Amino acid sequence: MSADDYSQRGPAVGERFPDVRLPDQSGALVGLHAARRGRHALVVFYRSARW
Amino acid sequence: MARKRVHRNYRIRDTGAGLFEDLLGVTASAHGAEALADGEVVQIRAYLDSPTYRWYQRLRVVIEVAVQDGYHIYGTPIPDGYVPLSVTLDPVDGLELGEAAWPQPHRFLMEGLAEEFWVHEGNVPGSVPLMFTKDGTGDHRLRLAVRYQACSAHACLPPAHVRFELPVHEVAAVDASTKP
Repeated sequence: MSADDYSQRGPAVGERFPDVRLPDQSGALVGLHAARRGRHALVVFYRSARW
Repeated sequence: MARKRVHRNYRIRDTGAGLFEDLLGVTASAHGAEALADGEVVQIRAYLDSPTYRWYQRLRVVIEVAVQDGYHIYGTPIPDGYVPLSVTLDPVDGLELGEAAWPQPHRFLMEGLAEEFWVHEGNVPGSVPLMFTKDGTGDHRLRLAVRYQACSAHACLPPAHVRFELPVHEVAAVDASTKP
């Protein structure tokens, strides 16, 4: 898969972002849409913490 | 999903302020030191969106050009012989300057001339991305210049440039205290 194809992965612009539930730094599960309560959210994925 | 952006290189990291401003339109209150400089009929205010940088972190130089009333400066496209608004950086080993982003200029027709111009007037906010691609280059005073040509409805001034410096401090890419 070329680098250009990565922009086609995941939800498309205009679609609703999945309501992911993931543990926070304390281990408590947090749902994205519940946490943002109607406000805008930035979701950032880093492939590696170090390289 | 309002917007999505993918970096081709996994090493590239935006600053927090850059993400907030670019994607949410929120201007961060904390940023690098400001530079103020005056040119003929323009005033420049510029700052880095972060006072520090890490290897492969993408910073932005935020530049606000205030054009004196009665004058305009040129954007692109532009006829031959005129100088459009641009930003340059004195070379630094390992530092890459990206393409400047300016607001869309508006069409301007000067009386008596058959040429069409695209110009900026008033406050012109722009930004330029930059990135250090070498580790361990230390702290810097970045030397930048905004180049422009200003005209009124009746006469043009010679092309000019306004120079300014912005300090930036290197921090480690990975915090050593987090190592297992």
